[in-house]
Amino acid sequence: MTRYICILILSLFMSAVPSYASDTADGSEQGKINPKEIIFEHLGDGYGWEVPFNHHKRIPLPIIVFGSDGLHIFSSARVTDGQVYKDGDATFLISKDEASGNRGKLVEIVNGKEERPLDISITKNVCALFIAVIFVASLLLWLARHHKASGFKAPRKGLGAIEALVTFIYDGVIKSTLHDKARKFAPYLLTVFFFILGMNLLGLIVVFPGGANLTGNIAVTLVLAILTFLVTNIWGTKHYWKEIFWPDVPMWLKFPLPIMPVIEIFGMFTKPAALTVRLFANMMGGHMIVLVLTLLIFIFAAVNPVAGGATTVVSVLFSIFMLLIDVLVSFIQAYVFTMLSTIFIALAQQHEEHKKEEKKEEKEEAQAGQPAVAQPAAVR
Amino acid sequence: MELFTPDFGLIFWMFVAFGVLFFVLWKWAWPVVLKTVDSRADLIDKGVEYAQSAKDQLDHARESAQAVLDDARKQQADILREADKLKTQIVEQARSAAQIEAQKVMDSAKMQIEQQQKEAQLQFRNQVSEFALRIASKVVKNEMKDQKAQTQLVNSMLDEIESK
Repeated sequence: MTRYICILILSLFMSAVPSYASDTADGSEQGKINPKEIIFEHLGDGYGWEVPFNHHKRIPLPIIVFGSDGLHIFSSARVTDGQVYKDGDATFLISKDEASGNRGKLVEIVNGKEERPLDISITKNVCALFIAVIFVASLLLWLARHHKASGFKAPRKGLGAIEALVTFIYDGVIKSTLHDKARKFAPYLLTVFFFILGMNLLGLIVVFPGGANLTGNIAVTLVLAILTFLVTNIWGTKHYWKEIFWPDVPMWLKFPLPIMPVIEIFGMFTKPAALTVRLFANMMGGHMIVLVLTLLIFIFAAVNPVAGGATTVVSVLFSIFMLLIDVLVSFIQAYVFTMLSTIFIALAQQHEEHKKEEKKEEKEEAQAGQPAVAQPAAVR
Repeated sequence: MELFTPDFGLIFWMFVAFGVLFFVLWKWAWPVVLKTVDSRADLIDKGVEYAQSAKDQLDHARESAQAVLDDARKQQADILREADKLKTQIVEQARSAAQIEAQKVMDSAKMQIEQQQKEAQLQFRNQVSEFALRIASKVVKNEMKDQKAQTQLVNSMLDEIESK
């Protein structure tokens, strides 16, 4: 085993040197590499989808914008290389203006100024989103078809793995937290879990069908968190709302200054914010580490060919290690998002049952001639 | 594109994509999958419960079988004891019956003997009287001529003997 590993490392090292040579030839043409730009280009969105081994060709994707004179749909190939595209009377180009904050985004030239139109283009991320939807839906429909056809027969191999995930989330998280309400919220929570997991894993594949930093994009995690927020609050019980606006705390904490209600309302919004940032930061961090490790090769190669060769070995090994960790993180983050959503929903599903019991006990105590000890704070 | 400012286009498409995915899965995947998962869990629970009760029943059955066996053994012993008792009783009864029968036989034999004795005595008496008559007649023939006087004499003599 160690012999194979040695051979592998050695061959990596040897292949690193000639590849370095071609890189310098490229580098001298393009000038100095800008790591920040490369990293943010890969982390962010784009109007085309990069293909491996070629910096100029991209898979063109449709651009859909509502400009000053209505809807425009055209291929991204018309603008991604810095061209100016005229569609009827409107003129579009990808902005290079650093100051306006529109850099890299499609703008319309109106009266000589760059203006951002309403942009619902099928960008790289949107396309990856569709691929993730198709991927997740087909996997789960496959599982459903198996269940419809074979009933109780346990699925094997790949399907077995998917079902193991379903039962892991359904029995381990949803049922144990929501109990009798599990069936009501399971479709949403399971969909969220598989969608996040699918996007995470597809994001780890470096070339075409994957590679988009979807769950590391704040818009995606924000939407997911908003959905959990909506589900939590739309199906929240009376008791939940009472706990927010009139919690069981001493009077001076809620009247005349509503300190506790303000804190509770604030808490309503910090929950989805935490969900958004946690998933976003974790997945973006994973992508960024791999990108930085890869870029280290080129940075060191620019300094010294031997250093570049040595860094290749280390970087590649580290990248593989980090990608493997990211596979784990993909699962953990999907799991954590689902678990927290379940807990937030469960918190809004509480009824007054144990409170009534508490009151009964208090009454009994009072009847027994003992002073009833109210512990509302402890209950909360 | 900036990292921390959510892009409107992506938010819009994310809502659409999630909506479509949720609808598709909610309509065609989750009901089937969750139903099977739930009912399979129920089935397994029931199976375990059934196995447990079956095991209980089996243990119970073994116990009851043992009880039946013990009971049978006890009954067997009882029956044997009863039979033994009955045997001795029958033997006893038979013996006593035989005794009674023997007594009866003996009694009847005694009576017969007595009867025969009586008959024999009577016969003997008749014979003796005949012999005596014959002897007497011979004696009296020689001594007496008169028949009548002779017979009277003899009878008085016989009465004398008898009264003795």
